[in-house]
Amino acid sequence: MEIYLPIAEMSVNVWLMAGLGVIVGFLSGLFGVGGGFLMAPVLVALGIPPSIAVASQAGHVLATSTSSVLSYGREASVDYRMGGVMAGGGIAGAIAGVELFRLLRLLGQADLMVAILYLLLLGTIGGMMLNESLRALLRARDGLPAERPKVKRPGWLYALPYKMRFPVSGLYISVIPPIAIGFVVGLLAALMGVGGGFLIVPAMIYLLRMKASAVVGTSLFQIVITTLVTMILQAVRNHTVDAVLAFILLIGGVIGGQLGIRAATRFRAEQMRVVLAIIILMAGLQMGFTLFVPPEDPFILAPTNG
Amino acid sequence: MVAASLPPDITAPAPPVPYIETQQAAGVSADLLSTDLTQNRIEVSSSFQGAKVILYGAVFQPEDQPSDVVVIIRGPQASMRLIRKVKAGAVWLNSRPVVFEGAPGYYMAASSQPLDRITDFSHRRLLGLGLDYIAMDTSRENKVVTRYGVKDVVVNGIEDDYLDWRRAVIRLKSKAGLYNDNPLGVRFVDKNLFRAEVTLPSEAPIGDYTAEVWLFSDGQPVGYSEKKLTVEKVGFERFVYTVAHRHAWLYGLACVFMSMGMGALASRLFRRG
Repeated sequence: MEIYLPIAEMSVNVWLMAGLGVIVGFLSGLFGVGGGFLMAPVLVALGIPPSIAVASQAGHVLATSTSSVLSYGREASVDYRMGGVMAGGGIAGAIAGVELFRLLRLLGQADLMVAILYLLLLGTIGGMMLNESLRALLRARDGLPAERPKVKRPGWLYALPYKMRFPVSGLYISVIPPIAIGFVVGLLAALMGVGGGFLIVPAMIYLLRMKASAVVGTSLFQIVITTLVTMILQAVRNHTVDAVLAFILLIGGVIGGQLGIRAATRFRAEQMRVVLAIIILMAGLQMGFTLFVPPEDPFILAPTNG
Repeated sequence: MVAASLPPDITAPAPPVPYIETQQAAGVSADLLSTDLTQNRIEVSSSFQGAKVILYGAVFQPEDQPSDVVVIIRGPQASMRLIRKVKAGAVWLNSRPVVFEGAPGYYMAASSQPLDRITDFSHRRLLGLGLDYIAMDTSRENKVVTRYGVKDVVVNGIEDDYLDWRRAVIRLKSKAGLYNDNPLGVRFVDKNLFRAEVTLPSEAPIGDYTAEVWLFSDGQPVGYSEKKLTVEKVGFERFVYTVAHRHAWLYGLACVFMSMGMGALASRLFRRG
């Protein structure tokens, strides 16, 4: 069944798009990630203009994150104060990101920037995760105890001014690092159409050293706020949100997400981390690949809408 | 294909054709041709997957007179931005975009036989017949320089590469099904009755199209007829598009509510279940 997208001004297959939503949603639920970084490359490969793909899949990220934050919120593991502070930075980052994206599109460099960001960020994070999780797996096989993460927090974190108490996270730190992390994530949310969970979670664990129980819920809460702002800004500034596309993707996404959450209980956490690392690495390499391959046609038409 | 048939001396695009003037100047009559489209309004609804419109017409000319018909469909003009991939070290980067103005968003040239057999180069160029002669301008790329000691010479910023860029626009648009030359697209179904099929892909731009029909006799344009075709969004598609552009804040908020609402609904449904 084909359906015409009013903003993208092209027709797409509903089942293909909904199926994509289900698969990405399933992986999101399985691994507890937003899945935006997986969806954008596929949408672009299917012929959706990158600017519309990035802005519309925000709906999918928003729906899956809302759904998850509600489940985690009930278990009282969301640090709303920390999430709020990060979201403050995130909103500023989203505003900057939407404007930057607009400028890059005018210069015809948007798709290039997206490819570079994907390669650098996902390549690095995927590589690090793979390395770390494989080592953990090997140690477990050899019967060695798990490597203990360094407990000491970086000293500079405490030297910064404007300290605040975050009881749920068990922290008393300056608000500058959370705001800075939020800003970077907001910027990326707008530029890459991702929620940014793959950045926030490691930052919360390794940089801020938040209480582990609060990490996932809080990061999801922060993602909801940032994505919400990004989606509105993309609609207002760039007119690139296609409500029909967003709806199809998120319907598939929420169904897939719930299936993924159920499936997640069947696997061991360490094994899942290896698989997730490989998926992240592949997504990054796949997008980055376009940088090195001689183009089929040396010319491309830049989208002009919006 | 396109590139090979391009005469080497065209370095500037054909000027936009002032139809009325051309008709009067060339002594073109409106009485020799009668044409119509099977549809003059195409509605783009959610099930739109492209459309096919038939243009048919009759020639009022003595039968012994050889007559050729050329049908040109032009879609709404929109500026286009073209980027060239440039190699820098190991990676492929994007050049600065070049803006092309005045090119139609859709173009089809159908004729009863190949255009170069119907009329000569100057007519094809003047009337914009065929993909090689579509008017497109890179006015924003023009710059004023001093050359050979002469001041204020207007040159094109992409100069010698202009033809490469122009061919690229045509190649990319043709690939998307938006530009095409169909040298046998006009078929005479009866002595003086002809028809041509216009195929619009789902990516066809929204807006006003014109169907120009030229009658040629011995290489000279003798008859002309013009019809309008409108492609517009209707119903839900139109509503969404209008709201997204006129009430962008409201639209953005609605999208956010929809997304969060569906997420909340899902978590509720599945927990009970």
